[in-house]
Amino acid sequence: MFGNDTNIDTIKQEVLYQVAKLSFLGELDEKKDALPYKLIPGPQANFRCCIYKEREIIRQRIRLAEGKSPSAGKDNKNIVQVINSACEGCPITRFVVTDNCQKCVGKRCQAACNFGAITMLRDRAYIDPAKCKECTKCSQVCPYNAIADLMRPCKKSCPVDAITMDENNIVVINEERCIDCGSCIKNCPFGAISDRSFITDVIDLLLNSPRPVYAMLAPAWEGQFGADITFSSMTNAIKELGFAGVFEVALGADFVAASESEEWAESYKEGKKMTTSCCPAFVKMIRKHFPQLVSNMSTTISPMTATARLIKALYPNAVCVFVGPCIAKKGEVLDTITLQGADYALTLDELAAMLRAKEVEPAASPDTIQQGSIYGKKFCISGGVTASVLESLKEKEENADITVKQCNGALECKKALALLKLGKLPEDFLEGMACEGGCQNGPGGVLTGRLANVNRDKLFGKADERKIHENMDNYKDLEFSMHRK
Amino acid sequence: MVVTICIGSSCHLKGSREIVHTLESLIKEYKIEEQVQLTGSFCMGECVKGVCVKVDDKSYSLTPGNTKEFFMEEVLGGLKDECH
Repeated sequence: MFGNDTNIDTIKQEVLYQVAKLSFLGELDEKKDALPYKLIPGPQANFRCCIYKEREIIRQRIRLAEGKSPSAGKDNKNIVQVINSACEGCPITRFVVTDNCQKCVGKRCQAACNFGAITMLRDRAYIDPAKCKECTKCSQVCPYNAIADLMRPCKKSCPVDAITMDENNIVVINEERCIDCGSCIKNCPFGAISDRSFITDVIDLLLNSPRPVYAMLAPAWEGQFGADITFSSMTNAIKELGFAGVFEVALGADFVAASESEEWAESYKEGKKMTTSCCPAFVKMIRKHFPQLVSNMSTTISPMTATARLIKALYPNAVCVFVGPCIAKKGEVLDTITLQGADYALTLDELAAMLRAKEVEPAASPDTIQQGSIYGKKFCISGGVTASVLESLKEKEENADITVKQCNGALECKKALALLKLGKLPEDFLEGMACEGGCQNGPGGVLTGRLANVNRDKLFGKADERKIHENMDNYKDLEFSMHRK
Repeated sequence: MVVTICIGSSCHLKGSREIVHTLESLIKEYKIEEQVQLTGSFCMGECVKGVCVKVDDKSYSLTPGNTKEFFMEEVLGGLKDECH
């Protein structure tokens, strides 16, 4: 089934596609046990040691597609899950002496090690992994830069230190610390970490719900399916799946920009510093790692919740499904069930699997529907939220002369929050986005890099010049709150 | 106390959204917002048993009709037990 170019994305995509296809036919329960054999027919293994391991990986990925933990009986609530059959337990020791070692006379490495872990072999120094405590001192003092720091990619990528190993070196994610950012998913070279899915639930509701199901496309979707696939084209394609209609989350983002601009203006007068609240991984970082700062977080709901509330104000029975490149939004859905916002969240790769399963190809459309302003659309780019809030302040002729720390990526967020906690953040406001570059680079996208940017810029270039408040006026008869409580 | 409600499609069709709504208004009515946290969960795998709800780690099966009864006995009752 898989060719030589098998990579992690194709395996994930293939499983999601097969699961979506069976779900649309209502045959998932009956036929899912046969899927691993269909995908890995054998007798030759494709990408692992044997077909039995490969089939187990497929089995675990099917469970994830169904929203379950990969291992039966080992359930936990986390969105990000370890596919333990796929984890190689990376047998790398963290500090390794490389060819650069000159076995010099000074031996600063040996002197720097407080644990007696370094000995001299015939041609170079050697670090005994059993004794090494990973204090990093030897690598810092080596004049030849000969000691490499090889942290496991999952652990290295985690901004909140949520990754540990069990006794067999298999990854364990600490639920108490994880913020669902999905960084480890993107960085594991074995594809051993992935996210649970609502795909089977959404398909079930499309087939069986008496209520209309609406899709809400996050701003970062633009460009992911090509430069000629506009919102109108995508709306047509998504409706073919059985959705009653499609909304742009950029529209909810306009309402968020307006609501936050009111909050910012007020807090600026009070001299209180405030953070944004639209990125769910950033919000979780505050709740779990900086609980003292919860009161500094804007109480405005996220663009996802705002869009869902707007849809429910129009159609009270609606079931709202968010679709974007974000994994943390799935956690936001679970955490905010009382907010009457989105009912489910899917990633763009899950949407792509559903389209493929129903053999729907998004095609260029002559219509030009636009719901969100260009400011709302740019919420998906680092700095975009700030730009929109400042635009809203200007439109209301409020003081827009305020300083904002734009945190690009989870590490910058963490640093700025630490400063804010100490009362040492120089800026008035803090924009937090856990993905570097903004949502556009989220882990659940289908296209990344330059091509995605070129496509998006072309589509954004076609947007009209409507203002934020002018756009909101189109919905002024609708009543819904923009705050969490 | 954490009350977890399954939002999988099967429980959704059996009324999980109404149950969330009812529980939320009851929590407000009895002013126990500080003590009870409502949260959602992926499918709990017990679709046949109707809307699956957990209080901390104990499972219950609910319908919109018996939600108030459940709230009085397990949520309010549970909180009273915690106090004693």
